[in-house]
Amino acid sequence: MIQLGNSTRGALSRERDVREAYAAHSGELYGFAVRSLGDAGLAEEAVQETFVRAWRAGDRFDPKIGSLRTWLFAILRNVVIDLGRARSVRPRVAEGGVEPSVEPLDEALTAWQVEEAMRRIGEDHRRVIVETYYRGRPYAEVAAELGVPEGTVKSRVYYGLRALRVVLEEMGYED
Amino acid sequence: MKTRNDCREWRELLGAYALGHLEGDERAGLEAHLDGCANCREELASLQPVALMLPHADPARFGPAPQPPPELGQRVAATIAAERERSETRQRRRLFGGFALGGATVAAVAAVLLLFVFGGGDGSSGPEQQVRFADLPPGITIDATLQPHSYGTEIHMYVHGVPSGTLCRVWLRGAGGASYPAGTFRYRWGDDSDAVLSSALDLSRTRAVVVDTGKRTFVAPVDGPVADLNIHNEEEPT
Repeated sequence: MIQLGNSTRGALSRERDVREAYAAHSGELYGFAVRSLGDAGLAEEAVQETFVRAWRAGDRFDPKIGSLRTWLFAILRNVVIDLGRARSVRPRVAEGGVEPSVEPLDEALTAWQVEEAMRRIGEDHRRVIVETYYRGRPYAEVAAELGVPEGTVKSRVYYGLRALRVVLEEMGYED
Repeated sequence: MKTRNDCREWRELLGAYALGHLEGDERAGLEAHLDGCANCREELASLQPVALMLPHADPARFGPAPQPPPELGQRVAATIAAERERSETRQRRRLFGGFALGGATVAAVAAVLLLFVFGGGDGSSGPEQQVRFADLPPGITIDATLQPHSYGTEIHMYVHGVPSGTLCRVWLRGAGGASYPAGTFRYRWGDDSDAVLSSALDLSRTRAVVVDTGKRTFVAPVDGPVADLNIHNEEEPT
């Protein structure tokens, strides 16, 4: 979480603070918006609306209650829901529009968090999890391909899951 | 075969175990170890939520994440600056009592009023256009100011008189009849600031502003520099 000045309340009420928050969190927010809306243009709209709403409600942000990142994601979640509803009631789909994701939003958020965490862990750990879990390949086969003992593949799976847990905690995920 | 005291080696099997990949003697040996090792049980418990999350992810999306375009940050900053400016301007107007129109006054306005105000120095790329929704129910006021930009149209929405907390959805309708989303906002009693929204549709191609307040949909035409005296407000079925 980034530090925003010395104040403990209303930390997002200044435009400069919004710029700092944007620099720190816009990438993640945009990534999730693209993931859930399936459209880069709508994702840009969602991120913009998120920061505008955050600025309007900046006085209500209290870092003692939760991190800025968590607060921004909660706003984005509402924005994505509103955009989804707007899309469902609007008369015609604009040119270049895409169908809304059929994935429930909370599930999309979980999915995006795992995918983002996977991007952040080491390549060795990611690879063994992909090969053994997602592709369902036998450990012996993966070990032969990588030129390491089978026990090493198993320990990499263990340290990979540990790394995922640490990254998810850093990202603010609470199970 | 590992001994029961060889905790580290057993622990390194916990990942495969949490994923349901251990079988036979290895699985039985680890389970026997877990029976007697609180530390490994605790470690397994910390990995299980992660293992349960894995099925949600799509491995095809593990590549580089999309990044927002560089200009988005500038747009966010400009939108917030414009909203603050508009809010301050509106407060000044209200202080001097010249701009606010009551519901009865608005109801008496029998035409959509188009005013052209030549803006300057704020990054806009042409004259802004003020659109007022006519024939509204008593007590409700809606107006919009449209500002052309290179990226599309900036919309300043002012709503007054609907229930507090009402979710308002806004679209711009293009020349071809398609509607382009411009965003959403909530109306709150006591907050007379504008909601600042944007759409990719150029102002020159915008033919109407559509506002949906949940129960009712209001449409005001945007027909260019000549005032359109036809009333186009319409109510759509809910």
